[in-house]
Amino acid sequence: MSISTPGGPERRPTVVSTGKKPAAGRPASGAKAGTGKPAATPRAGGKGPRKPVTPVKVSQGRAWGPIALFVAVGVLAAGIIGYGAWASFQGAKPWDKKANAIDGIVNIRKTDKASLEYESHKSGPLTYKYSPPVGGVHNAAWQNCMGDVYDAPIANEHAVHSLEHGAVWVTYRPDLPKDQVDKLAGKVRGVEKMLMSPYEGLDKPISLQAWGYQLKVDNADDSRVDEFIKDLRVNASVEGPTALCNQGVTATGTTPHELQQQPPTQ
Amino acid sequence: MTAPATTDTEPDDVVATPDEGGRAPARRYGLAALAIMVVVGLLLGYAGGLLTPRLVRPGDSSVEAGFARDMTTHHAQAVEMSLIAYRSATLPEVRQIAVDIATGQQGEIGAMQTWLREWGLSPTGSNPPMSWMSDGATVKDGLMPGMATPQQMTSLRDAKGIEVDRQFLKLMYDHHLGGIHMIDAALGETDNAEVVRVAQTMKNTQQIELNNLRQLQAQAKG
Repeated sequence: MSISTPGGPERRPTVVSTGKKPAAGRPASGAKAGTGKPAATPRAGGKGPRKPVTPVKVSQGRAWGPIALFVAVGVLAAGIIGYGAWASFQGAKPWDKKANAIDGIVNIRKTDKASLEYESHKSGPLTYKYSPPVGGVHNAAWQNCMGDVYDAPIANEHAVHSLEHGAVWVTYRPDLPKDQVDKLAGKVRGVEKMLMSPYEGLDKPISLQAWGYQLKVDNADDSRVDEFIKDLRVNASVEGPTALCNQGVTATGTTPHELQQQPPTQ
Repeated sequence: MTAPATTDTEPDDVVATPDEGGRAPARRYGLAALAIMVVVGLLLGYAGGLLTPRLVRPGDSSVEAGFARDMTTHHAQAVEMSLIAYRSATLPEVRQIAVDIATGQQGEIGAMQTWLREWGLSPTGSNPPMSWMSDGATVKDGLMPGMATPQQMTSLRDAKGIEVDRQFLKLMYDHHLGGIHMIDAALGETDNAEVVRVAQTMKNTQQIELNNLRQLQAQAKG
């Protein structure tokens, strides 16, 4: 750093008191020592032996260099601290606030809570108000949602139960190009509380579901896809974060599967 | 930040009147005092921020701690019953709901034990079970509301065929009723946001499960 004082870079600003000046009979050396310390900080290296030098009177000389430097450092520090605070504040925002901020998301918990309520599990085919469904009555069995990527349509009745357990269900139109399907599958495969399947009759290429939430997009590259998953996976669970996604139905087909009676394991 | 001020006062030194009320010293003292006050204020604020959670977190005999400990005990038996049913029940829907209850409640035990650790409390309390409940819920033979007796547990373990389903469904139904009773007591007495959130989730889940258990009981009657 260079402090612009006339007389070249090796001329230190001489106004910094070294305590060697006769200080007009003031007993202020204590205070000076106190304030002198910070005052010495902006002087970078090159602290040679301190020579008492007569101060050069610059016209009402404020040393603008150090001031500018201090201001710059201060602004930078405030910026860093401010950004950190803002980022952690954003990160601590409740998940539902973040979800509601996603452009184009439909919050059925707000608009149509009644459609999500149900008495108890039901077997056999069920009708749903939304396509794909986002909640309501469902089968006793859930569709396995341990990052399963199904290559054929699955039963709504099982998928809705997965949503209740906190899964995000990615659905796409069967005619979606393969590279788009692969991109979506990359976000699902191996991630618990995620499942994905083609869906007949979608009005948009891609539709994402969580319990009480839906978002339809045209493209797997849309950044809102990742946002939806980040904000709603696990969070949207009706039964808490540890509801089960394994031990579910792994078969495809849109007719709900009646659970097979197996001989009890010994 | 004091450097500019310091440099600024230097030219004044020459003209400063020697009386103690000189402007420059006052300004200098003022700056030093201000700096010290700011630093002390920041330190006090920081210390307050560090200490406050310690002072306001639930104590050893709080409702929150009692709930976490007793609900852990209560849940543990539900997990045991459910895993018996998951292994040996006849109806697939019963096995399905059993594994759901077992893993769900085991997970909630994990959450409640984590609270106790974070509050610096032991998983075991010195107060008798249920003493945090003000409505004087009774503990019969060390059992909290809805818990199965040792005889009932033995009977469930020894049961065969559809009898496993029937016994499990009845025991779990009563278990949930007692659990909801305890949860309601906690909800009525705590204002800890995290405890309220988890307790409310437990209650919603168990109420829906009551309907499903009742429905399965009709199925298991055969």
